Order: sequence, then C-alpha cells, then structure tokens
Amino acid sequence: MENFFISADTFIPEINFNAQTGELNISGESYHEYTLEFYQPVFNWLTEYLKTPGRNIVLNFRMTYYNTSTSRRFLELFDMLEDYQQQGKGTVTVNWYYKPDDIDMKESGEEYADDVSLRFNLIPLEH
Amino acid sequence: MNANEQPFSIHQFYSQLKHHHLSMVAQGLISQDILSLIALSLKRRPDNEVVARRLFAIVVELSQNIFHYSAIKEFSVKDQREIGVGIVAVGESDTHYVVASGNVAKRESALFVAQQCDYINQLDSEALRQYYREQRRKPIREGSMGGSIGLIEIVRKSGNPIRYEVIPLEDGNVFLIFVASVSKARSYAD
Repeated sequence: MENFFISADTFIPEINFNAQTGELNISGESYHEYTLEFYQPVFNWLTEYLKTPGRNIVLNFRMTYYNTSTSRRFLELFDMLEDYQQQGKGTVTVNWYYKPDDIDMKESGEEYADDVSLRFNLIPLEH
Repeated sequence: MNANEQPFSIHQFYSQLKHHHLSMVAQGLISQDILSLIALSLKRRPDNEVVARRLFAIVVELSQNIFHYSAIKEFSVKDQREIGVGIVAVGESDTHYVVASGNVAKRESALFVAQQCDYINQLDSEALRQYYREQRRKPIREGSMGGSIGLIEIVRKSGNPIRYEVIPLEDGNVFLIFVASVSKARSYAD
C-alpha cells in the first residue's frame, strides 16, 4: 500500500502515514474551515489500511493547535483505530506530544484518552 | 448619502479604535488566510504563550461561527461557495484581552444560541469538560457544521462566561454579538 502524505500549511497539519512501519504522524495546526472535506482522504486511506489485520500502529500526535471542528475529526480517527484493536485485528498506541507549558494541549490528550480505549502516552516535548 | 449621515472619517475611526484599545478588526469575509495572519500577530503580542493560544482559539471559533452561520453571505472566489460575513475585533483592558464578534443572524437561530450560552455559562470547569466531550460525541445538529462545541470551547479557553447580545433589525433578522474575555494572568486554569 502507498504511503500517505499531505504537507503542512498555515491552517492544515502535516500528515505523514507510513504503510510499511505503521507509523502515523500528524503535526502542526489544524483550523481548516471544511474539516470534513479536508480529512476525507485521510479517512479513506485509513479505511483501506485497516482492512489488513496484524498491524502494529503507532499514531504520533504533535499538534500545537486545532479547532473544535478538527477535534471531531480526530475523535473519528481514534474511533476507527479503537474498532481495529477491539476486533482483535492489531494493536494501536497513541503518542500525544505537547509543549511542557501547554496545559491545554495536555488536557486535550487526557480527554481523548478518557473517550476511547486506546493506549495513550502523554509526552512532553523536549525543547 | 442621507442628510443626517456623517461622512466617514478615518481619523474618528482611528480614535475610536485607539480609545477602546482595539488592535485588530476584520470585517467581511473572514477566511482562514486572514485567520492565519491574526494568529501570527497574536503569537507575537501577549508575552504569555498559553494566553496567546487561547486568544487565537477564541478568534477562530467566533470567526468560523460567522463563516458558517451568518445570515449574510458573500460568494468567495477562492472557496467557490457562499460564506458568511461579519465582524471580529480584538482589544484589551489592563487585566483582560477581549474578543468580540458580530453578524446578522436569523432570529430563531440567535435565540437558540443565546439559550446555549445561558446553559454553558452556569457550568463549572468540570461540567464544561463533560459537556464538551458529550457534544463532541453527538452527531452534529441539523443544518450545523459542528459549531455547537465552539461555544463551549470559547468559555473553556476564556475562563469567563461568554457575553452575548441580540439586537433586533428592521428586516426581522437580528444582529448577534458575542464578547469573550481572557484574563492576562494564566493562573485560573492551572
């Protein structure tokens, strides 16, 4: 399967999904006005990717800001990964990075961790 | 021009902006390009990064509210669709940053939003957290682009109730105003 890549812009994050290693990276800022449209290709790719069992997926989140509309999309993404793991198809780990002083981003990670049954590692970024 | 209408004076406008410490006002189509410029200027200003990020989050949510819900829409060539127009302003007092927004809205939708604000404003931070997660889980309501959690986010980020005002207009619509203030000290959320 092909890798998936979208390069970052001021209001969209960099998305870098590696099909071979199972490393899914999302980083930057996300406040696109039409998040449904923007994230649709991401969901399409992931749907295909999750059809194959036996994957060990690591999702690395390095976001500095996202709007509430994006926050819904991220929840959908976690739900897809949660389903994959709960169906016994493979394993998923989420690494949620935040700047040490960014208490809001840390809290956002904690909230997602409460909302889905996935292993969440909250990791302060080193300067 | 109407006889009792004053001609526009940019000097007077400037004085008003100065007087109210308004550093940024955007009117019309507030696109994500404009938002990213606002982000840039906000990040430069407050010496506290957390406060700057919260301020920007509020500007985004208020602007995108206008974008999706304003009763007055203009065609955006870039987006190839109609988008809502309104006004967003950022100002400050000695103790707070203030973000205000205004747009023409349908009376019913403004009253619905006002009710939402009243409900959200009486919640404490833990209840806000729960309500946010609950709303994020819910399918978005009819005709909405998902802005229902926008207001909760604004109140959470600002640490203060969101003020609103609904001004009736002659055509049956209303002018809907939101004012959110963020304390310059970050201690409240620690």
